Amino acid sequence: MSDLIFNVDNVTLRFGGVVSLNNVSLHQKRGEILAVIGPNGAGKTSLFNSLTGVYQPQEGSISFTDREGKVISIIGKKAHRVASAGVARTFQASRMFSALTTYENVKIGAESHRGIGVIGAMVKGPRTRRGERRSDQRTEELLKFVGLYDKANVISSSLSYGDRRRLEIARGLATDPQVLLLDEPAAGTNPAEKIQLTSLIRKVRDEMGVSILLIEHDMKLVMALAERLYVLNFGSVIAEGSPDAIRSNPVVIEAYLGSSDDESEKSPS
Amino acid sequence: MRAFFRNPFVRRFSLCFLVVELVALMTGPPGSTQAPTAGFRGSFFEASSFYGLFRTQRWVVFFALAIIMFLVWSGWLNKGASIRSTATKALAVPRAVTQRRPVRWSLIGVALIVALLLPRIVNDAFWHSAMTEQIGVFVLLATGLNVVVGFAGLLDLGYVAFYAIGAYTTAWMTGSLPTPAPFHGHFDPFVAIPVAIVIVMVAGILLGAPTLRLRGDYLAIVTLGFGEIVTIFANNLYGITGGSQGSGPIPHPVLHIGPLHYVWSLKPVPYYYLLLVFLVIFLVAFSLLEHSRIGRAWTAIREDEVAAESVGINPLKYKVMAFAIGASTAGFAGVVTASQSNNVFPSSFTLQSSINILVLVIFGGMGSIFGVVVGAIIIQVAYSYLLHTPPQGYQSADLYMYLGALLVVMMIFRPSGLIPSRRRKREIVLSEAGEGHMDEVLTGDTP
Repeated sequence: MSDLIFNVDNVTLRFGGVVSLNNVSLHQKRGEILAVIGPNGAGKTSLFNSLTGVYQPQEGSISFTDREGKVISIIGKKAHRVASAGVARTFQASRMFSALTTYENVKIGAESHRGIGVIGAMVKGPRTRRGERRSDQRTEELLKFVGLYDKANVISSSLSYGDRRRLEIARGLATDPQVLLLDEPAAGTNPAEKIQLTSLIRKVRDEMGVSILLIEHDMKLVMALAERLYVLNFGSVIAEGSPDAIRSNPVVIEAYLGSSDDESEKSPS
Repeated sequence: MRAFFRNPFVRRFSLCFLVVELVALMTGPPGSTQAPTAGFRGSFFEASSFYGLFRTQRWVVFFALAIIMFLVWSGWLNKGASIRSTATKALAVPRAVTQRRPVRWSLIGVALIVALLLPRIVNDAFWHSAMTEQIGVFVLLATGLNVVVGFAGLLDLGYVAFYAIGAYTTAWMTGSLPTPAPFHGHFDPFVAIPVAIVIVMVAGILLGAPTLRLRGDYLAIVTLGFGEIVTIFANNLYGITGGSQGSGPIPHPVLHIGPLHYVWSLKPVPYYYLLLVFLVIFLVAFSLLEHSRIGRAWTAIREDEVAAESVGINPLKYKVMAFAIGASTAGFAGVVTASQSNNVFPSSFTLQSSINILVLVIFGGMGSIFGVVVGAIIIQVAYSYLLHTPPQGYQSADLYMYLGALLVVMMIFRPSGLIPSRRRKREIVLSEAGEGHMDEVLTGDTP
């Protein structure tokens, strides 16, 4: 039994000659809100894709503690298996099933980890019906949780950016995950939505007990949310620590925040 | 001069004129190698009656048609504002949380009663056989292909292979092939139905498991190859399939359950009812499937495979499932065709028939069960009608010219089909607006 949800050990990911992740090691404790920051091209999304089984790193190991407390290896697993094991994610450019309603989007997440019975679905047997009722219930719960219940029947592509983020979070939570990976959740949202999002993310951790791993450019949001940070630059971890420690770390300031005085307000790009 | 052609009225009218001239050419008398221009001359200057009103030359008729078309088009544009806004309505109008279209039981009931009474209403030998061989079988095939193309979004150009496998399985089970039947028995075609369906589904899984990792165009090419391979096998494996000579005589099915006793014969109407029973079963099963979690998973994969994987859906598994389920109706259709026509020939399973079935699905509306059934009936009835009472100078290949023109017009004005499925329609509207993921970029990274 481990209280580490993710343990990434010396992971190297290459695309041909380009080294996207270079000897990256990091770990996340259960129930922690962890953030990964770094300038564009630092390898943050590559790290996410490696953690979710989309990319297969050439070296190193990634272990994950699943629902039963079993430690499993992520590398070599397909993305859908990683998702079923309990890793949910959102995408940088939000990817919903845009022709479906909000409700249907979340419901697909809620029913994905149940076994599939073709015959049951064709004749609509009692097991199918029970499962259907359970995922309906879960969907409604989650829509209320993220505050999209009144938009349940809206086609998801007509939602605002902020609502899309919340929908993606709800869809991810519907798979009953151990950890939720958020790829730049604040991108494209307005200040009011950012505040709502911050409290929603914290609520996910506090009320559902889901650990959060976050990539973000918006320093305000990161500093307000994260309990610990990793800083990536050119595919390597250059610093690790609490928000305060990172803010005053000279290596980070030089590599990332620049050398001006109001660095915490500055948005790098 | 250029300004003159920029005028929307002039442009609209020239377009109408061009379209109508094309129709005139298409419907005109055929040319010949001796007199290559005879077709053109005949198309425009042949005497014709203006709907029985007065006699005139063909070009007058078609010129009048161009004017009517122009007027209708202009009228349409004037009313356009309200009509065009339906596109945005498709995105905005929410339905109740239960999100199911209300089942129109009355409509279904009427359709069923009409289908049951049809052989009595249309009491004609030609139409009886058309009802079975052309309409019934093809509606069934289109319904099956709709699962693959419409629900799962996989382009299958070799669908007819499953139909062929079903037909040859029947021939094999009844002992009509050079290869001995299993257990040296001569089974009834009724026994062949479940066997054919299972064999065809296994064939679907065997073909699907390795190839469904491919996407889009690549998959289409592989399935096209598969269709060809099956036909060529049937043609060349003389010792097994009987080659191009076809199989031996296949017996008609015999029903013998308790007091029920019925022997099918060459007459098509009993086969029509057999088809109808199975069609209803397949339709009910497929529409339940569409609204089950499997149907939703198919939609999710169709829209965004990466996002679908991120919620734990295994795309390969669901795609293979779609392939196998879609193939099952073709297997059954194969049994019926084989035992009704008494023999199987490889020449009935060509690429052309695969494409014909695909046209039925696209015309009716991909992903919409109701649409596909209606679309298939319309096209197959038109096809049979043209066979039955061909207009002057009509050759059977002309059908494809008309069908091609119809599809082009459909793609411009009604790209999601005759009776589109709501989800598909939204997808098309969205992709035109630049939303949604019709692309296949793997990561969430913006380039």
